[in-house]
Amino acid sequence: MSHTVLVCDDAIFMRTMISDILTQAGFEVVGEAESGSQAVEKYHALKPDLVTMDIVMPDMGGIEAVREICKTDPDAKILMCSAMGQQALVVEAIQAGAKDFVVKPFQPSRVLEAVQRVLG
Amino acid sequence: MDVSKYAAIFLAESREHLSSCNHLLLKWERDPAGTEAVGGLFRSIHTIKGMAATMGFTGVAELAHRMESLLDALRQARLTADEATFQLLFRAVDALGQGVEQAAAGREPPLDLALAAALEAATGGTPLSAPVFEPGEAEPPRRRATDGPRGRSVQVVIRPDAVMRGARAILAVRRAEVLGLVSAVRPSLVQLEREEFDGRLGFRIESRATEEELSAAIRTAGEVQHVRFEEAAPVDVDGGAARHRQIRVDLRRLDRLMKQVGELVVAKNRLGVLATAGDDPSLAEVSDRIARLVSGMQAEVIASRMTPVGEVFERFPRLVRDLARDLGKRIRFDVEGEEIELDRSILDEIGDPLLHLIRNAADHGIEAPDIRVRAGKPPEGRILLAATRERNSVTLRVSDDGRGIDRAAIAAKARREGATDVVTAPGESESVTDDVLLRVLARPGFSTAEEVSGVSGRGVGVDVAMTRVRQLGGTIEIRSEMGKGTTFLIRVPLTLAIVRALLADAGGERYAVPLAYVAETVEFDPRAVTALRSREALVVRDQVIPTVHLRDLVGSRGPAAPARRPTVILEVGERRTALVVDALVGQQDIVVAPFDAPRGMPPYVGGATILADGAPALVLDAAALL
Repeated sequence: MSHTVLVCDDAIFMRTMISDILTQAGFEVVGEAESGSQAVEKYHALKPDLVTMDIVMPDMGGIEAVREICKTDPDAKILMCSAMGQQALVVEAIQAGAKDFVVKPFQPSRVLEAVQRVLG
Repeated sequence: MDVSKYAAIFLAESREHLSSCNHLLLKWERDPAGTEAVGGLFRSIHTIKGMAATMGFTGVAELAHRMESLLDALRQARLTADEATFQLLFRAVDALGQGVEQAAAGREPPLDLALAAALEAATGGTPLSAPVFEPGEAEPPRRRATDGPRGRSVQVVIRPDAVMRGARAILAVRRAEVLGLVSAVRPSLVQLEREEFDGRLGFRIESRATEEELSAAIRTAGEVQHVRFEEAAPVDVDGGAARHRQIRVDLRRLDRLMKQVGELVVAKNRLGVLATAGDDPSLAEVSDRIARLVSGMQAEVIASRMTPVGEVFERFPRLVRDLARDLGKRIRFDVEGEEIELDRSILDEIGDPLLHLIRNAADHGIEAPDIRVRAGKPPEGRILLAATRERNSVTLRVSDDGRGIDRAAIAAKARREGATDVVTAPGESESVTDDVLLRVLARPGFSTAEEVSGVSGRGVGVDVAMTRVRQLGGTIEIRSEMGKGTTFLIRVPLTLAIVRALLADAGGERYAVPLAYVAETVEFDPRAVTALRSREALVVRDQVIPTVHLRDLVGSRGPAAPARRPTVILEVGERRTALVVDALVGQQDIVVAPFDAPRGMPPYVGGATILADGAPALVLDAAALL
């Protein structure tokens, strides 16, 4: 059975791209969220194996969403998606419980490597 | 991925590494048995290789790779370094430096095949056998049966091509923490977060896990190239805590900050004047508070720009070594006071003058070994470059124990060139003072026209050095003794931008005199006037000091001079001048603006400034008044 993924990003472009990369690699994208609060909500509803999480999103940011999710599920497998130059935010996300990160612009191979690492 | 925006950082870091390479090579050459230098060299070259490869500068990376291979063989004592090896490494470091500069400027040169071949030949054609950082080739972790948790120190190398390596390293630490107690993380987490990180992470871990387990866990952080274990050495207690955290700041940013603070100082002075004039106590209070805050800020900004002179000094040992080699001389080069600090902008300008003086000392000062021995000196000459701090200035001394300057020859030549302003009568030439000597040497082009025995070429560069130092508000002095050697003393202010100045009035105009050169102020006493070499002079406590009347100097046509006039005694080195002014108006911090001298601007003007009341004033160049 393939792993399920929740893709969180406020940009449709990024969500589409990540979904394509993961779907082509045999993952099942079970949901998409465009804000941090939506991500938390959908995580609890869908219980995905993996979450990809943008850092900067409206209403609730990615880092806060990580914190919220890890409160109830410390083992949540969350992969941060960051832009160049956001190292401090990435570090904060790691401290909050994110398990790995990829940096935009995405190279599909790097994304998949990171996903494999997170899923162990 | 677009890496072009990293070119500046690549260049800055590579330069630092290359400079340290030169330093280490010299150190190693002096002590070929030492192992520290070669280790440092290997690491620096390796870092450059990694950076160049990331930037896509394949030629530079390839050259660095060959150097790394050779250094590795030397490091592991598979080869022994001889003179040819050092020559080759010096050559390679130079070539690498050029490659780095040109590559960063977008014109990467092709790999120097002859040099690459020479490096390979020296390495013995063996491939780099120590894959310390080679991908995927981790040395097998040693397995040991253990009972309780054991302390081990762990070295993790993050792939050079990974992005956000600092965050990646933090992730690696987090992964290790699952299996044990992690401490002594180097670089610190803060440094990692700021990407002050060359890819090598070290920490200590207390864990029951085997090395395989630890290694596997750490590798799940991703982008891990290498994990290595050592039995933990005693924890370096103060090494971490005492180490200062540093960040890299673009100098232009500090320049802008300095300029802003300069403007702030002017505004603060202006506010002070208004507050004193008004009768609002709360305004006076705020003004006082702002004055204190601005002073503190000014001190901090100046401190942040201070850089040890060693940064400029460190390129000279190599220069002297190469010069000595080319000239067939033996020269020992010593450096003192490397830790003395100067404002970065002054430091950047001082390198050239020093270069000229050091080159002169090596070329014209130090004699060939046989001549030295005949003169009863040791065959090896000595050049000393020393920095010392004095109040608000720094003195840089370049001295040699060479032949000294032949004053008679200099005087004769000056006369032949018609330099009657500096040397008047033949009889005077034997007693040419150091001051006069310097003025002769500093005449542009002096001694380039023809040979003068014993002093040929001595003047080359002195005029250049003198001009540059004067532009910095500094002074040069010379002391030379026939047969014993020559010393040049360069005095520069600690910082350029903000100076404390004495304000003087002459003919209704105000002028600023930098306090750094004010020895004292006395009252002008017409009875103490005398003559010194047909110039007016003043006797101050039994010392005869030439006088300059500021009114005459600036050609003032203002109201008549008052009867009682203060006199400012200016002092530069051992020279003094009495500057007679109409009145002293007080002291002030002034921001000296460089003066784009319109045609005919007199030499005694060093710049301009805006005073606290908003009026402009000229800043006098004390050195030019002497």
